Amino acid sequence: MNRTYDTGTTETYEDEGGLDPREAARLLERTRREAERGLDFRSPWLTLLAAAVALVAFGAVWLSVRGQHPYKGPTPAGLVVLYALVLIRIASVVFAHRRATAGVTGRSVRRRNAEGAALAAALIAVYVVMAALVNAGASDSVVYGVYVGTATLIVLGTFWAARSAVREDWLQLGLSIAIVLVAAGSAFAGPRGVWLSNGVGLCIVLLAYSAAQAWKLRAPGSDA
Amino acid sequence: MTADALDPLIHAPARLQIVATLAALPDGDALSFTRLQDMIGLTPGNLITHLRKLQDADYLTSEKTGNGPASRTSVALTHRGRAALDTYTQTLRALLDGL
Repeated sequence: MNRTYDTGTTETYEDEGGLDPREAARLLERTRREAERGLDFRSPWLTLLAAAVALVAFGAVWLSVRGQHPYKGPTPAGLVVLYALVLIRIASVVFAHRRATAGVTGRSVRRRNAEGAALAAALIAVYVVMAALVNAGASDSVVYGVYVGTATLIVLGTFWAARSAVREDWLQLGLSIAIVLVAAGSAFAGPRGVWLSNGVGLCIVLLAYSAAQAWKLRAPGSDA
Repeated sequence: MTADALDPLIHAPARLQIVATLAALPDGDALSFTRLQDMIGLTPGNLITHLRKLQDADYLTSEKTGNGPASRTSVALTHRGRAALDTYTQTLRALLDGL
């Protein structure tokens, strides 16, 4: 095994001072919590932003379709708001993730890349099936209402639930299952109501998750 | 039981911070020297001194990639290092329970 530290410095400093066991326990706990927080991109604030994005994005689509008779699907203006907010959400997650994982290499990075590829394939499949539904003559209310409003969330939620279960991350597993249930339940609200139901449901779930995250971060001895 | 029962390689503030920080990474991951330095707040020379002691005990491994200014050193806890931290934590708990 070779030593590979080469920073061009000659400074050395010994740190062999005795540590009181209580002091050591406090330092160990504080360091562990700070490291876990620093290496994890998730935070209550990021989840609060996601809650606001869900409410406003789905709410904008709902406003664009609520007066349609017959149902035609989200208007271009509604879709612009939806996709702009989704992009803001994605950008905020990417920024937080890059900052948290800066300098980290190894197995988890390779695993994340593979998970990203699997998730992209699943999301593409949702829209391929949507095209197939259009091709099969399904109505606008099914394709551009009930289906697209729920399928994307169910795929995302199920994927994240499986990922969380493998990692034994029970809080994230609960969040993922709640998202799947909100999406499945919203399908009963019809092509117009599905957007409002998704927006309100997701906002409530994400607010609850944000509160749980904040509580775990404050709890002594927590592993959040 | 006294504080002498604690692993002296870990029972020093800087090394305790290094080992605890690296233990927060998933098994199989490594952290760059500069990020570790940022997270712990040690000077490069100080950090190198402690990393060498831990590496001599086979508690961590280091790997250097690239050459010149673009080179990058990453460090990771070994299984032996993780086990040593677990033992240290258990011994510390037992000590505190006895106080």
